[in-house]
Amino acid sequence: MKIAVCVKLVPSTTALIRVVPGGKSLDFTGVEMVLSPYDEFALEEALKVRDKIPGSEILVVSVGGEASTKILEHAYALGVENCVLVKAPDADAPAAARCAAAVLKPYTPSLVICGRQSIEDDQWQFTGMLAELLDLPHVTAVSSFALAADNVMAECKRRIEGGEETIDVALPALISAEKGLNDPRSPTLKGRLNAKKKQIAVKMPAELGIDAGALSPSLKIEAYAPPPPKSPGKVIAKPPKEAAAELVRLLREEAKVI
Amino acid sequence: MAFDIFVIAEHRDGKLKKSTGELLTVARKLAAAGGGKVLAAAIGAGASKTASDLAAWGAGTVLIAEGPALEHYSSLRWTRVICDAIATRKPAVILMTVSSLSRDLAGRIAARANAVLASDCTALSAEGGGFKLVRPILAGRALVTAAHAGPAPLLATLRPNVFAAEKPAQPGAGSIETLAVADDPKDARVTVKSFVAGGGTRPELAEAAIVVSGGRSLGSADAFKIIYELADSLGAAAGASRAAVDAGYAPHSIQVGQTGKTVSPVLYIACGISGAIQHLAGMRTSKYIVAINTDANAPILKLADYAIIGDEFEVVPLLTEEFKKALKT
Ligand SMILES: Cc1cc2nc3c(=O)[nH]c(=O)nc-3n(C[C@H](O)[C@H](O)[C@H](O)COP(=O)(O)OP(=O)(O)OC[C@H]3O[C@@H](n4cnc5c(N)ncnc54)[C@H](O)[C@@H]3O)c2cc1C
Ligand SMILES: Nc1ncnc2c1ncn2[C@@H]1O[C@H](COP(=O)(O)O)[C@@H](O)[C@H]1O
Repeated sequence: MKIAVCVKLVPSTTALIRVVPGGKSLDFTGVEMVLSPYDEFALEEALKVRDKIPGSEILVVSVGGEASTKILEHAYALGVENCVLVKAPDADAPAAARCAAAVLKPYTPSLVICGRQSIEDDQWQFTGMLAELLDLPHVTAVSSFALAADNVMAECKRRIEGGEETIDVALPALISAEKGLNDPRSPTLKGRLNAKKKQIAVKMPAELGIDAGALSPSLKIEAYAPPPPKSPGKVIAKPPKEAAAELVRLLREEAKVI
Repeated sequence: MAFDIFVIAEHRDGKLKKSTGELLTVARKLAAAGGGKVLAAAIGAGASKTASDLAAWGAGTVLIAEGPALEHYSSLRWTRVICDAIATRKPAVILMTVSSLSRDLAGRIAARANAVLASDCTALSAEGGGFKLVRPILAGRALVTAAHAGPAPLLATLRPNVFAAEKPAQPGAGSIETLAVADDPKDARVTVKSFVAGGGTRPELAEAAIVVSGGRSLGSADAFKIIYELADSLGAAAGASRAAVDAGYAPHSIQVGQTGKTVSPVLYIACGISGAIQHLAGMRTSKYIVAINTDANAPILKLADYAIIGDEFEVVPLLTEEFKKALKT
């Protein structure tokens, strides 16, 4: 089975990111860049499926800048067969989806796996777009994935408001991974050594037939701002019982929320 | 040029979600600014039962799509219904609530309808013939203000509880139109086979007006009882930090934060939660934040409007009693 995984390089979740005075851009200097956390679950699920079905292979695609080679090297170290980097450092989600679709269409994967969301612009946009561009059915935020014996149907579980859905999807299909889907492995030493021998295929959008217009941002960003500052709150310095009563009073009379 | 606003209602078996009222309130304001109409669509089992409510919220036209093919959710069928409606009605803006439904559908709809998607908006207004919106990025570490001038329609998903819900003095005409559902066999490729309700009687976390959350310091699933009791005294939803979820004290379905749910309640009570950046990502837009923590230097205190420095095992049950007393009067 041909399996594809899409991965994205994002700023580490704990990094301090400053808004450049004037609000025209963000300052990423010194910020550690990492594989988007949900993409780890996507890679692991692909490895699991590949190892179960003899003759399978994995193609990993990332759309981004030169720095994204880091996460593709990681994918090689985990043991995937092929990696492609589409060089489009400024691509937003729709543009990246177009680039990824251009790579994946001729590859004809039976299964495409993404992360639930990239924890950078948090758009939850790429996966649905890619599925539409590839004309694949898709299931978002899958927390359990099981291929049926024929490898033509799969059963997915997805937690939604008020409960859990079980979804049947026909392959070829695209799924996005929720935390809990699996336990991502770490690369072995042998994997790391093998990775050094592997080449990342680098493609330019133009080679894939994607013109500059298709790469221009879909939304015009006017300004960045830090989250609004909070004025210091009230610390209720009283013994527990009085403090509890005082808090209830404040929530009622001052905040008027209960 | 007048522009119409198209709201995708959310309902379960005909009962509208509270957030749909928020969408329609925003829709009315946008439509008024552009001299356009408000349309609302309800899809799936029980959809027709929402029509009078949607009118009461100001929908001029209510589009209903129901029937055997839409008995169970299917992202492809829903996309087809919505995109067909967009193609014929040509709205300037399509509004959805941030929810599992819009998370599943929005990207696909945007691609098919050639719309520009803005997820998780916390502000949206009509400006200079176009639209202006604000959305948090990088897990709330920055806010982006963006503009959209068309001609492509804007598909915006709005965070629940952030926008006011006000019923209009005059209901909308609510003229009902039935949407034909083109039955393409390709749409059968994905479908919900079953749904198991869980979560019990508490309100839905993502939409609750009050959320009470507990952290790792509770130490056991059993001890989480005090969080549930406090939540129940307020009719609130219960939440948890990731550390509490990872330790098995609470189910993942109630995790708040970057890798869990995003909540934006009127009141968020954090019990024994340190306030790590990834937790804040899921709750920082709450209107009022209360922290109960033994550590006066815990990061959560920087965001808290009210704080009690104390032991949750002592303070939380006392608070439960106080809330019960107060809410009786
Ligand atoms: C990629 C990534 C994603 C993540 N996603 C999430 C997420 O979605 N949600 C999330 O919550 N976290 C997330 N985290 C984890 C996050 O970094 C923190 O580890 C986590 O939020 C800490 O949980 P906590 O506050 O319960 O525990 P701790 O940080 O251990 O804090 C415990 C707090 O309880 C206080 N305390 C101790 N005893 C008492 C007592 N008796 N009474 C009152 N207070 C007491 C302490 O002073 C402390 O402030 C993520 C991390 C990563 C790397
Ligand atoms: N630039 C990109 N390159 C490759 N995959 C991406 C890219 N952007 C998003 N993805 C994939 O789509 C998922 C959801 O991203 P998003 O829609 O941006 O929240 C990610 O977890 C990745 O699997």
